[in-house]
Amino acid sequence: MSNGAVASARGYLAGPSGLGAWFSSRDHKRVGMMYLGWTMGVLLLGLLFQLLMVIRSVGGMGEDPAIIFRAITYDRLLLVFLFLAPVIPVTLGYFLLPLQIGARNMALPGLSIWSLRFYAAGLVFLLASYVFGAVACGWTLATPLSLTAPGSFTPLFLGLALVGLSWLQTGVNIILTVNTGRDEDMGFFDMPLMTWGVYLGGYLLAAMGILLAVIVLYLAAGRAVGHGPFGPGSDPLAWLGYFWFVTRPAAYFAVIPAVGVIFSVVEGISRKRTPGYRWVVGAMITLLAVGVSTWGIHLGPWGQAPQTTFVFSVLSVLVVIPAAVLGYFLLATLYRGAVACAAPTTFTVAFLLHAGIAVSISLFLASPAPGAYLGATMFATAQLNYILWGCVLAALLAGLNFWWPKMTGHTLNQAVGRFGGFLYLLGVNLMFIPQLILGARGVPADMGPFAEGATGLGETSGLGMLFLFFGLMTVVSNFIGSLVCDKPVADNPWGAEGREWLVSSPPPAGNFD
Amino acid sequence: MTMMFLATWLPRAASGNAGVVDGPFQNLYVITAFSVVLVTGLALVFIRTFGRQDEDQRGDEGSGFSRPLFGLWMLAALAMAVFSIASGLPGYVDSTVPPYGAVPVGVTARTGAFTFEYPGGNSVDTLHAAVGQPVVLTMESTDVVHGLSIPAMRLHQAIVPGRTSRAWFTPTLADTFALQDDIFSGDSLLVARTALVVQNQADYDAWMQSVADIFAGRTLPEVGELLYNRMGCKACHTINGAKLVGPSFLNVYGHQAKLRDGSTVLVDAEYIKESILYPNNKVVEGYEPVMTPFLGKLDDKEIGAIVEWLKTLSEHGGAAETGAAAADSTAGGKE
Repeated sequence: MSNGAVASARGYLAGPSGLGAWFSSRDHKRVGMMYLGWTMGVLLLGLLFQLLMVIRSVGGMGEDPAIIFRAITYDRLLLVFLFLAPVIPVTLGYFLLPLQIGARNMALPGLSIWSLRFYAAGLVFLLASYVFGAVACGWTLATPLSLTAPGSFTPLFLGLALVGLSWLQTGVNIILTVNTGRDEDMGFFDMPLMTWGVYLGGYLLAAMGILLAVIVLYLAAGRAVGHGPFGPGSDPLAWLGYFWFVTRPAAYFAVIPAVGVIFSVVEGISRKRTPGYRWVVGAMITLLAVGVSTWGIHLGPWGQAPQTTFVFSVLSVLVVIPAAVLGYFLLATLYRGAVACAAPTTFTVAFLLHAGIAVSISLFLASPAPGAYLGATMFATAQLNYILWGCVLAALLAGLNFWWPKMTGHTLNQAVGRFGGFLYLLGVNLMFIPQLILGARGVPADMGPFAEGATGLGETSGLGMLFLFFGLMTVVSNFIGSLVCDKPVADNPWGAEGREWLVSSPPPAGNFD
Repeated sequence: MTMMFLATWLPRAASGNAGVVDGPFQNLYVITAFSVVLVTGLALVFIRTFGRQDEDQRGDEGSGFSRPLFGLWMLAALAMAVFSIASGLPGYVDSTVPPYGAVPVGVTARTGAFTFEYPGGNSVDTLHAAVGQPVVLTMESTDVVHGLSIPAMRLHQAIVPGRTSRAWFTPTLADTFALQDDIFSGDSLLVARTALVVQNQADYDAWMQSVADIFAGRTLPEVGELLYNRMGCKACHTINGAKLVGPSFLNVYGHQAKLRDGSTVLVDAEYIKESILYPNNKVVEGYEPVMTPFLGKLDDKEIGAIVEWLKTLSEHGGAAETGAAAADSTAGGKE
């Protein structure tokens, strides 16, 4: 289909159309585009839940505060497990990975579409659980509450297990594609940094995906038949230990691909390779090591021995080292570059600012005495929010703004994109800095954003959410608008390096045919 | 200036151990704020300075890496990491070892309420302490995971069922401070919120005298209401007619309740006593048998007080009962 002149003008988009054709497609580009739609839907749902919290709490907790508790539970479950952890590997990863390493498709094309089907089914189950009996037990699903609380837990557990299996399929697919699908002349240390980020993230997705499915099914068994490692009578620390072992790295397997994307984008917009390629790869591998070895920082005040907590504090403060390496080389890549003033630049600055704040918060939480006080407050959840809304979303939007011409064959309006990026940056900080202050004052996490003691800070945070919302709307309408206005786009509009820029925009179905 | 801004971050320090939290917090705040501003500022300067001049311009490959500068940069990062751990460690070590002679207070957490038990067996629902006198809390949970948080004391401790947790503090200011359950404990709506009342020694001693007997100076319905608040009943039973996990207490006394097995029963003193001690024997239709039994936690006199209080909430009041009324007035009166 890529042979005809007309068809190749629209590349992979020109193939069989219709929902059925797309949902059974094995083309990694179509899977990536579909994942983009699904993950954006989840992001929108997450925003709606947050909005619900804001509206319900403006006049105190309202008549039925359980609505807020439920909204928080589902907000976090959706955003962490269906957005934060997988989003960059499944959108930019699926679309660009084979193009960047010179492959025609993912190593296991069937698994690509099956991972999407599992993801979609997982989302449907989670939403079914919300509709048919929303649970309010907090997103950590802590036992014994998750064993006794009312609500439709079965679809919730099933949904999470399906999502875990979807991670596993994506992870395995990415690892195999990079290991076996590279061009003969591309060694591991010739891969673009985004490929490295997604590749490392793939290992975490595979390992934590299968673990998530297993522990959630054990928990479901505990609830259904009253037996098992997390069943009634088990030590709550058993569940929490496993939960954080799986979820703590989730932040990292989101951040490592995000770092990779940002580096590739910065190399593209400043038309300069980073001067410390191997340092950056090493820092990403170190981040992975820190990610999988610091779950115990969450168990400090829960009855873990203080000596153990101290070891985890030391391990988790080490995140500063790879972060400093990455910060240095990000700046060094901009230094004496030919930096384009474009939308991806704005999102890169946003990423740098938010990543800096997130790493700073790690220092507070790792410091033993302040960490013990702040660990269960909004201060700690603001860090998760900075990683999710601040870093991963900024990297995703930088990447989308950068590769959109390649992905769709349409040109974006850079001024509109930069304005959207500015609103987004303003919104994130207006939304979460007040939450940091509230947390330092002792407002507990996950009790609703405006629990008692709010003094204008809650309202400021709500205002920030509006800015964030309008920023995102601006960016998304820029995407959609570009599809309507049909300006032809060059194969390499940024003058960037990389194999994905050698093929036509959008690429033909077989990539390099 | 910085200190003024910082004052808006942390709550007022009112304990001997606040300093070991606030000190590292404020220093880390200054260091990290400076670093974030520096890095973001440099990025903005570079983007401005090295902006693309013409369409074909390319970056200067290989520039930007200076070994001494990179070394300094990494040393600064390492110093931040070491400072974070080293400055927070002394306070953390302190927090694990209660001082000799601290007043031991037992804490029982259940959804909706804390109970504080003082030496001598007096239990109350508000934590009291004397200025300068260390208090060590020994905490247990009877149902799910709870947390005890007193921001003014810089104290947060999870209370995990099946485990005993410990925390201590030394109040330094006489005032009333917020104390609350800070771990999500479920759908039952009411987060346990109470207070830490810090008094000077004389007031504290007087208070200790007054709590020795909950029946002293209170009518029976007042004792009943006190127990309703203290024992956590309010987490599941409202007194305004709204339905939560359990039925509301409004107008419950003296009415005919329909049970899950289809039979009906008159809600009298005997039924109320059974429902408190063995709650899952006769469950009202429309509710699940999920209530924690209070056998061994309330004695007959206290249950009698609860019955008297329920009468005041019911329009059937003292009129509807027949034989049951006589029975329970003796229960209340024989003490």
